[in-house]
Amino acid sequence: MKKLFRFIMNPFSAGDRVLEEAAREGAKHEGFWANVKKQFRKNKLALFAFRFIMFLGVLALLADFIANEKPLACRYNGNTYFPVFRSYAVDLGLVQWPTDLQNVEWKSLNYEWSVFPPVPYLPKNIDDKNSQSKGPFATQDVPSTRWRHWLGTDELGHDVLAAMIHGTRIAMLVGIVAMSIASFIGILLGAMAGYFGDNRLKATRASLITGLIFGILGLFYGFGSRSYVLKDSFASGLGGFFFQFLLSVLIIVLFLWLSRFVAKPLKKIAYLGKPVSIPVDIIVSRLFEIMLSIPTLFLIISISAIVEKPSIFHVMIIIGCTSWTGIARFIRAELLRVRSLEYIEAANALGFTEMRIIFKHAIPNALSPVLIAVAFGIASAILTESILSFLNVGVPAESLTWGTLLSLARQTPTAWWLAIFPGFAIFITVTIFNLAGEGLTDALDPRLKK
Amino acid sequence: MWKYFLKRILIFIPTLIAVSLITFVISLNAPGDPVETMLNRNQGGEGQAAQKLAGEKAYMRQRSELGLDLPVFYFSLSNKTSSDTLYRIPKVSHREVLERIAFTYGNWCDVANYYKSTKNFEWELFNFKKTEESADILTRVKEYTNQLYLQHDESKIKNIFNNIEFEFNGNPVFKDLSGYFNSVRNSWEQIIHQQNPANRYIPVIHWYGFKNQYHRWLTNFLTGDFGISYQDKRPVSSVLPEAMANTMSLSLLSILIAYILAIPLGVTSAVNKGKRKEKVITTALFILYSLPTFWIGTMLVIYLCCGDYLCIFPAPGSPPIPEDAPFFYKLGEWFYRMTLPLFCWTYGSLAFISRQMRGGMLTVIGQDYIRTARAKGLPEKKVIWKHSLKNSLLPIITLFASVFPLAISGSFVIEFIFQIPGMGKVSIEALNARNYPIIFSTMMFTAILTMVGNLIADFLYAVVDPRISFSSKKS
Repeated sequence: MKKLFRFIMNPFSAGDRVLEEAAREGAKHEGFWANVKKQFRKNKLALFAFRFIMFLGVLALLADFIANEKPLACRYNGNTYFPVFRSYAVDLGLVQWPTDLQNVEWKSLNYEWSVFPPVPYLPKNIDDKNSQSKGPFATQDVPSTRWRHWLGTDELGHDVLAAMIHGTRIAMLVGIVAMSIASFIGILLGAMAGYFGDNRLKATRASLITGLIFGILGLFYGFGSRSYVLKDSFASGLGGFFFQFLLSVLIIVLFLWLSRFVAKPLKKIAYLGKPVSIPVDIIVSRLFEIMLSIPTLFLIISISAIVEKPSIFHVMIIIGCTSWTGIARFIRAELLRVRSLEYIEAANALGFTEMRIIFKHAIPNALSPVLIAVAFGIASAILTESILSFLNVGVPAESLTWGTLLSLARQTPTAWWLAIFPGFAIFITVTIFNLAGEGLTDALDPRLKK
Repeated sequence: MWKYFLKRILIFIPTLIAVSLITFVISLNAPGDPVETMLNRNQGGEGQAAQKLAGEKAYMRQRSELGLDLPVFYFSLSNKTSSDTLYRIPKVSHREVLERIAFTYGNWCDVANYYKSTKNFEWELFNFKKTEESADILTRVKEYTNQLYLQHDESKIKNIFNNIEFEFNGNPVFKDLSGYFNSVRNSWEQIIHQQNPANRYIPVIHWYGFKNQYHRWLTNFLTGDFGISYQDKRPVSSVLPEAMANTMSLSLLSILIAYILAIPLGVTSAVNKGKRKEKVITTALFILYSLPTFWIGTMLVIYLCCGDYLCIFPAPGSPPIPEDAPFFYKLGEWFYRMTLPLFCWTYGSLAFISRQMRGGMLTVIGQDYIRTARAKGLPEKKVIWKHSLKNSLLPIITLFASVFPLAISGSFVIEFIFQIPGMGKVSIEALNARNYPIIFSTMMFTAILTMVGNLIADFLYAVVDPRISFSSKKS
């Protein structure tokens, strides 16, 4: 009764609340996430994988504090500094380096006292005394064991351990950024395909035609007329480009919104006012097929062939834009199931707009299987990135990642540490994410685990 | 059934067109001027007028041979500033600059005039009789003119004008040249004076018909002409078939081996569920599944292939097998060489297929009719290998559609590591040499191969499972 009263007082927000409460009550019987947690905890291997991912995440976040050429803290010329922290502040433009610490060789300074990170090297540091691939067990020309290269060095004298630690950061970044892009595209397209199917999205011919015309006009004014603005901003930096790109997208959205006003009077004509269904599912399925038809590596290599100054971010964006199909499939299948549930019908009956139902009610209930696809997706994104840097494709040669370290092993076959350690790191990371994916599959779908 | 096949093939066509469009758009954005690359020369300001004219003629000839003087697509949506005669300007770099100037000031006629008078001025520069004192000045002015072609910014162009004027400096020797130079300057003033920037906001649709680059490229591709390799000037169609044969034979063979091994493995692990045997198999398969191919491949090459360690298998890139050797020797040698690549190629898909096989088998074993079969006293062997296997094989067949692209993608790394002349190696080499025709042809080819693989998987599935029809789509 109370609910009904609330609903009458404020039909819209209350409607959502009624639905949410109903969903919550329905969930109370099982306690969905609690159940998932319980199932996941039971799986020792998956739990271990999860903890290991946390460890990798911490390693990636704190890479600068674990392996760095600068001391964590030091006293120099009568002042106490925290150079690693300070370098963050300098990068943000908050402070400057004091004049006596500008462009210095950090190792050779005369500190009163200093605390160096556990690994006192950066991947870019070149140790001239220990070049020509010194092994972990070989005699190294270092002042003390404190400065030893525990995993050896490469041909030029880079510290392998430091490169491995900073490589974790690149690998995790690639996995996360690529999968965020893929999730965005995949969830959007998959949800549309699953929810609307082939005949649930209807539009009048008038709005279709005006939408098409205005969409093309929007493209024209958003991108055609602004092509040089976009090009110039792309040349000057990713941040500015992103802003200009958003502006262009905004112009298109504005045009699509305007098309509604043009369509309104046209709808009065009988032919144009007739609603037709848009085969969303067929369109998205074709997109799937196109994406699956082009082997990802070939596509990435073709695209990186035309990027003049490749960087790790290009690789992330390309991997993200090509690996959304897995996620889209999961969410499409899930929404096919969800859309026929009663609470969606109820939402429909309450007169909510389709967009509101999809984004507020349908997708949140279908997100859990996406986690599985994301876990596997991160594994394959990390793998793809390391393959690309192994082949020296699309990733700048000077950045040291697990893949580039492994490719160095091909050039100096005697340096077994260059083949074993990075390869093992890739293997472990990929396995751990796959294990987490497996664990999630089992925990989310107990039917499979009789 | 036939209707389904026909429909499936018809759907193949739009996908093919979409893939070709993607490839074409990527190839359009390739940096550099393909005509210059084909001619193997750089633009230079030096040289005699006749030489320059000959060079320009050669450029135009090469350009029309490559079909690059045609419009890009069937139609174009552009603004009023761009003209339909713009694509006739030969050099890509000049064209881009002129397009930008026209876009900024919105009066193509004046811009074309400016280009024409600049060309005239350059022509006169080259025809001008060199004397000892003027040679230096002429060289510098030629350099400035070259810069002029590449500038779109007003202040920079003005700067160049001032530089040229400074060089001439009222010298009576250059009186004629100054006249031509002034007309260049005037035409630029004309652009500024009669600018109409609003034109860039007026959309215009051009229809070009079938004589365009995309149409030409696609029809050429379908008739087996994939362009000419930049590097050795050989047609791409003479390079690719051999590479494709290598890649295809190896990937199909690896898939075959994977299927042959995976089915018994999957069945055994499903039947022995919960026992130690199953646990060993599952763990081993899981590890195999996650082992990066390129790591294993690199290690195998370093440690087993006659490097600094063991010498069990031949080093990658050994000399080819002699043609006149007896057939069985050749076959044996080929398998000996391909053992390691095939192993790398196979183990991933082997693990994938057997895991799926195990899952499928588990669901089938739990079903009622299997219990019935057991209840009526059939021997366990018959229950498993006859009744269960048959039904759990169905989903395995569709796996072909996902294993095949994996194998093709795998070719990349494995061919690179083991130096097998296949598609992957060819396209990596092409990438390093920026040999675009080969890169984009291999991309098209692999896409078509994958699509054909999907098509075959669908057909197989429809043949073994008559319930599949086009109307009831798989979800």
